[in-house]
Formats: sequence, C-alpha cells, structure tokens
Amino acid sequence: MHLVVQAVILGLLTGGVYALMASGLTLAFGVMRVINVAQGALIILSAYLTYTLFVHAGLDPFVALLVITPGMFVLGMLLQFVFIRPLRSEDREELSLLVTWAIALGIEGVLSVVFKTTYRSVNTGYTNATWDVGGYTITQVRFYGFLLSVAILGLLFLALTRTRIGRAIRAVVQNPVSARLLGIETERVAAVGFGLSAATASAAGAVYAMVYPFNPNSHYDLISLLLTIIVLGGLGSLGGAILAALFMGVAEAVLAATISPTWAKLTFFVALLTLLLIRPQGLFGVKARGAI
Amino acid sequence: MKKQALIVAALFAAAASVVAVLATSAGGGTRSASAKPITIGISLSLSGDFSDPGKAARRGYDLWQQVVNAHGGILGRTVKLKIVDDASSPNQAVSNYTTLITRDHVDLVFGPFSTLLTAPSARVAYRYGYAFVEPAGGGPAVFQQKLPNVFFAQPAPVINCGDPFVHFLASIPTSKRPTSGAYPALDDPFASPIAARMQGQLSHKGVKSVFKTIYPPETTDFSPIVAKMASKHPQLVAAGTQSDDAYGLVRAMIQLKLNPKFVFLSNGASSALEFPDKVGRSQTEGIFSCGDWFPQAKNQGNNQFVAAYLKKYHGSALAIDSGSAEAYAVGQIIQAVAKKTHSINNKTVIKTLHKGKWPTVEGNLSWNKYGAPKGSDILVEWIHGKLLPVWPKSLALHKPTYPKPRWH
Repeated sequence: MHLVVQAVILGLLTGGVYALMASGLTLAFGVMRVINVAQGALIILSAYLTYTLFVHAGLDPFVALLVITPGMFVLGMLLQFVFIRPLRSEDREELSLLVTWAIALGIEGVLSVVFKTTYRSVNTGYTNATWDVGGYTITQVRFYGFLLSVAILGLLFLALTRTRIGRAIRAVVQNPVSARLLGIETERVAAVGFGLSAATASAAGAVYAMVYPFNPNSHYDLISLLLTIIVLGGLGSLGGAILAALFMGVAEAVLAATISPTWAKLTFFVALLTLLLIRPQGLFGVKARGAI
Repeated sequence: MKKQALIVAALFAAAASVVAVLATSAGGGTRSASAKPITIGISLSLSGDFSDPGKAARRGYDLWQQVVNAHGGILGRTVKLKIVDDASSPNQAVSNYTTLITRDHVDLVFGPFSTLLTAPSARVAYRYGYAFVEPAGGGPAVFQQKLPNVFFAQPAPVINCGDPFVHFLASIPTSKRPTSGAYPALDDPFASPIAARMQGQLSHKGVKSVFKTIYPPETTDFSPIVAKMASKHPQLVAAGTQSDDAYGLVRAMIQLKLNPKFVFLSNGASSALEFPDKVGRSQTEGIFSCGDWFPQAKNQGNNQFVAAYLKKYHGSALAIDSGSAEAYAVGQIIQAVAKKTHSINNKTVIKTLHKGKWPTVEGNLSWNKYGAPKGSDILVEWIHGKLLPVWPKSLALHKPTYPKPRWH
C-alpha cells in the first residue's frame, strides 16, 4: 500500500508537468485547428534556452522563464505568421501536421548543430532535494514544477475567461465564422493563440530541463506522449488535457511500480483505444467545435 | 657495306635506347605503383543519431592515419582514408561499403560505429573477401552471423561488461559481499543481456535476486521503478544502462534515498565528463562501471595516442572518447599484420589475425573464429570525483572502494 501511495504522489507531480506540456498543444488545436506536432520540439528548444542561461549566466530556471517566455511567445507568433497563416483554412488541419512536423525537424536540426546530440540537464542546488512527509518522499523540483504548472494553467484560464483577447480566442474556437462576422480579427487571434501555446512550452521546457536529461531527439518521445494526452482529454479541451495528463501520470507511475514499466505504457494505450471506441471525441471533447 | 653496318648499328642503338627508356619508365612505373597510397574505405555516422560517437571514431581513424604516415606509412606506402557518411543508417552503411569495394576498389575496409551498422556491413565485406576489423560492433548480432572475416577491436564482447565486477565481488570477504541484488535494465540488445548475465552469475554465487525489471527506451521518469526497487531493500543494484537512463536512474535513487552497498551501471557511468555533469560529481562516489580503454593504460602505443590526440584536438586526456581509441586500435591491428606478413592482402589479414595476440591501445587482443574478443573489460569506479580502473589488479590504478557512501 505504501508503494501505491508513493507512486500516486510521484504520478500526480509528473502529471502536473505533463499537463503544462499538453496545454499548449490543445490550445493550438482549439484555436486554429492546428495539430502542432512541433510542440515537443518547442519544449526541447526552451529546455536548451534554460540550460544555456543556467550554465552561462547562472540564471535559475524559474528566473530564466522571465526572459524565455516572452521570446517564445514572439517565436510562436512568427511561426504562425510565416508557416500556418498561408495554409488554406479548409486544408489547415491536414497540412498543419506536415508544416509543424517540418518546423519540429528544423528546430531539431538547429539544436543538433549548436548543442550536438550529447544529453544535457540542469542541475540546480535543489535538483535532488526532497521532503519526507509521513514517510512519503516528495521531490522538490517536481513539486515546484507542479506549482508552476498550476500557476501557468491558472493564468491561462484567467486570460481566456477574463480578458478581451481571451474571449476572442474562445469565440474563434466556438465559431470562427460568427466571430469574424462580429468583427474579431481571427488571424490576429490565431497568432496570439499560437504565441500563447509556444509560451507555455517555455515553462514546460524549464521544468523538463530540471527533471529529465534531454537531447535534440527528445521531442519524438514527448510529442507522442502529448498527442496521447490531448486525444484522451478531447482535442481542444484544456480541462480535458489537464485531467488526462494527471490520469496518465498517476496510471503510469502506479502500473510501473506495481506491475512493470513496459506494461505501464501498454496498458495505457489499451485504455486509450478502449475509450476511443466508446467515446471517439475523448473524455471532454465535443463532436463539433466547442468551448476550450 | 660499311654504311649498312653503321645504319644497323645505329638502329640497334636507337632500339636499345628505346628499350632502355621503356625499361626505365616501366621500372619507374613499378616504383610508382608500389608508392601508390593504400586506400582504406570507411563508412561512419557523421550525421544522424550516432553522429557524436561516429565523429569520435573519425578522430581516432584520422589520428592513426596521421601517426602512421608520419612514420613512413605501411610497407612504404602512405595511408589514405576514404571516409563516407552513412547518416547513422544501416542501409546507407551497406550501400557505402558496397560502393567502396566494388567501385572505388579500396585496398581495405575498416568498421563503422555500433552493432546496428556493423552487422550488415560485415556481411558485405565477407561477400567480397575483405577483412573487417571494426571498432564498435560488439553486440551479439555481429558474432551470431559467424563470419570469419570479423575482428572486434575491443577486449571483450559487450554483454561481458559486467564480468569483471562479478569477479571483483567474488574476491572480497564473504561478510562484505552483498546478499541481495536488484537488476533494472533498458530494453535494448546491449543493456538487458548484461544485467541478465550478471544476475545469473551473482545468483550462482549466492546473491539473492529481489528485483528485476526491463524498462522501455522511452522511459524518462524512473521514480516509480526506483520506488519499487527501494521497497525490496537491495544491497546491490546492477543495472543494464546506456546513457540518459543511467542518469535518470541515479537521480531517482538519490531522490528516493535508495542507498545500496554496491551500484554498477553498465554504461553511462563510464563517461568521465558526461556522468558527473548529469548527476553531480559528488554523487558519483563509489559507482562502478566497465570500460575498454582509459588514458593512463600502459597498452601498446597508448601514450603516443594520447599525446597525439591532445596535440591535434586539445582538451584533457579524460575528455578523450574511448571510441577514438577503439578506432585507433583498428589501424594498429592492420599495421601490425602488415609488419608481420609484409602484406595487406585481405586473405592474409584474415588468416593472420586468427592466430596470436595483437597489442593495441585497447590491450593485447585475440579473437575466437567469429571475431568475438577473448579478453575482459576493465572494472572502473568513481573515486574522489575521478573515474579510475580498479580491476583486474594488473591494470588497476586504485584499489576498489566499498561499500558505496550514502547519497547526500
């Protein structure tokens, strides 16, 4: 029992990080119907930026976010402007897969040239620090990562519900044609949405750099994980993505601790396929366009 | 008559001089043929997934070429390397070796990086009767092909990496040996067989197996695995690891405060620069791994190799990738065969290498009939922040230290 509870704690903390990573992906799909398979590469790019600022400027990863996040927001808008906007809206979902895949490979190539394929990691003074709470271990860096996820996702939720641009984003998600008729500049909203999506990658990258060793190829494993989460949660649903991420983190940890790490992956995919057979739109997705 | 005799004599003289000139030029031609460089074809992963180790191998090959040519080449002929990129693809490597042999007619071929590329490439070399001395294909897939032209230029097959650690444990007093062992391993053709072999050997010596798992390559979060392992309280953790999984495993062990008396990681911990960078130098103390080469080794030509390497590529001896030494050893082997037999004929090379021991920077190498080395790797241990050879005693620079200090 102790092992299961310990695994649930570890899984929840990992799931929080997954939620942060998946939020950008589901946002991009919700706003623009873009399946942004470059999200994993953007996270790894942020991890490298975090690493660079940590090693060369001594900046703590959480402080470095103040520099990296605006940069990633601008990069996201630029990527949308240059690569996504020219796609015809009727082909956007299909073509975005190819275009964002090309972006991912481009980022991977640049990172490989600049940083080589050697694994990197960010070792802060608190990387291996833990708390013992009632006989259970809580790793500090994951806990901080979890708190950061909650804070970023909370801010994202507030931005989407309480700000003008947030309301515009939700309007575009629900009905882009009506939103355009009401005077919302949908392309501008899409650019901001993609920028926000990339900005979440910066926080996810900072946490990733502290928790896991990474190299330019790490985005392949990441994107398969993130796509699974947003499909499970329901494409375009932020709440669904968060719950699916937490479920995945806990399920993986518990199964890995009680059965085996190999079965943890397999069992999860079996559960995903079963769910999709019963509810093809995922846990919280809707068949038509809906609320984010 | 006299005039005719003069004409005949003149014609003879002219013919003789033409013959002399032709003979001279033919002789010159022969000399120039003998001075023709020895061309060695190599396919290497200079891009793609294996580009870093591929480039390390290239540095070793290039360095050997430089050293051997500075000493007059082989059999009086300079050595020319024709290195082509295979982009870390086995298919491209096969295509490269086929082209090098059938179109470029290289005199010899040297091996690529990793078992994945070596196994199919060795078959190409075998088909055309070429010797295949190779630096990095030490996995079972290479030797299971039963090719007589293969010679792996390291002291031992990859899956024997844990053997020196097992021998070391057997040598310490019974009261200090671990009584229980945990064996996590990466699902990989190199890593998991090492852990399985160690588990078998140690079980035979009375170490009870309390935990075993094989984790998939995409595993990034090791904490659930380590949580389960910790619940079994093993005194020994012998893990079949590659690189990033070794870092992840150690970090999870630190975080979850699993403190066994002995920790052995087959790979990842043997990197003098990467490992302390990823887990923290102070946390490396007492961790064992295995290695095939180290800069202080007293092996044939090692000092010369290290000095030449540092002169050409700079940095520190500790930063030299063992992949460079392995490639350098490949060149040394061919050099030694040529010196012994005065030939670089592939048939002669294959026949000659099946007998005797061949001194290289990797030690004195010898092989079974399918190219698997008969020697043993070296047990290395992190002591005071340095990676040092500790076993066998004949090669050790420090006594093994145990039990492992607690994480801090």
